[in-house]
Amino acid sequence: MARINDVGGTQGFGAIDTTDDPEPFHADWEARVVGLLNALRAQGMFNTNEFRDAIESMPPREYLETSYYERWFKAICVLLERKGVIEPGELDD
Amino acid sequence: MSYWTCGKATWKRFPKVSGDHSDAAVARRVRRLETLLEEKGVLSGARLDEIIDASRSGASPANGARVVARAWTDAAFKSRLLADGTAAVRELGYMDGSYQRLRVVENTEAVHNVIVCTLCSCYPLRLLGPSPSWYKSEAYRSRVVREPRAVLAEFGLVLPDATEITVWDSSAETRYMVLPRRPSGTDSLQEEQLAELVTRNALIGTGA
Amino acid sequence: MTDTDRLAPGTPVRTFHHDPPHHTRLPRYARGKRGVVIEPEGRAELADDSARGLGNARVEQVYAVRFAARDLWGEGDHHVVLDLWESYLEEVPEGER
Repeated sequence: MARINDVGGTQGFGAIDTTDDPEPFHADWEARVVGLLNALRAQGMFNTNEFRDAIESMPPREYLETSYYERWFKAICVLLERKGVIEPGELDD
Repeated sequence: MSYWTCGKATWKRFPKVSGDHSDAAVARRVRRLETLLEEKGVLSGARLDEIIDASRSGASPANGARVVARAWTDAAFKSRLLADGTAAVRELGYMDGSYQRLRVVENTEAVHNVIVCTLCSCYPLRLLGPSPSWYKSEAYRSRVVREPRAVLAEFGLVLPDATEITVWDSSAETRYMVLPRRPSGTDSLQEEQLAELVTRNALIGTGA
Repeated sequence: MTDTDRLAPGTPVRTFHHDPPHHTRLPRYARGKRGVVIEPEGRAELADDSARGLGNARVEQVYAVRFAARDLWGEGDHHVVLDLWESYLEEVPEGER
């Protein structure tokens, strides 16, 4: 079944904002998330394909509403939970 | 909280914190995860800081520009670059130890190339630095494979009708970089000066 | 498809109507479409397998395959190149070329 990330040729996403980013990250937590991905991947917690799979499996509405690096963060959490490293709800307030 | 199961992954809807889905809420969760991982002995804060610093250093579009300037001034290097991009850029010290492959695609009068990853946002980070937000956007990823000429025009790049466009969709392990055309009137310039003429967008194909 | 098959540059190919419930790297816009092999792009673990994290992913040849926009969407003058694992592709039989 085609997933929400598979957008090639899909209509309706509108004009491209071609402006450059002043910084690669909008907030420090984004850089931390990239670091988490690289560190966990390097130590074999999961591989890149598992990571992509987790992002793509997000319900479509949530995927489109979630910012790029927050998708990464959610995917990391789903994988860590699946691997038994964290418990459901452990990150909640 | 509700659960969706889609394939192997089970998704739960993360709670919206009273209408506030701001950076602050996510930042808190990220910090909490870092703390948990340290407490559980999975990943130390020090190790994470090390990884963050390492990935920041060295990746920049100046690298890709340098490769291009070398190709413009050294015909033999250019041949090697187009035949085996991975090996050629290693001559200049880039992509050492990377499992990824690099293919460099040459712009000519007849063909203009542009790069995308429609499925996610694969990008030759080490040669181009961090990818721009537009490259990661659904708008770019959905449209550039379907109507590249219109997309390039939005970037201010209008190509002659006779120039064909090839879009490279990075769907596997190969990462792509464009070798732009050398601007005319630059015969007297040194390699370092030529490198300064190469823009990051030109290396992706949304610039000349 | 075996992982020792080789598709030569210039071979006309067709992608399967591959629509699995799992992770894959054949985009929907290029399923069941005709293209031409440019050249091999190395061997790699099949993403579909690797995403399941079981450690027994098949390793296959990947090919850069060029598609005409007209064959993908019925219109357009450009081409799109995708890097596709061998199990996404079949050679177009002589009689159908």
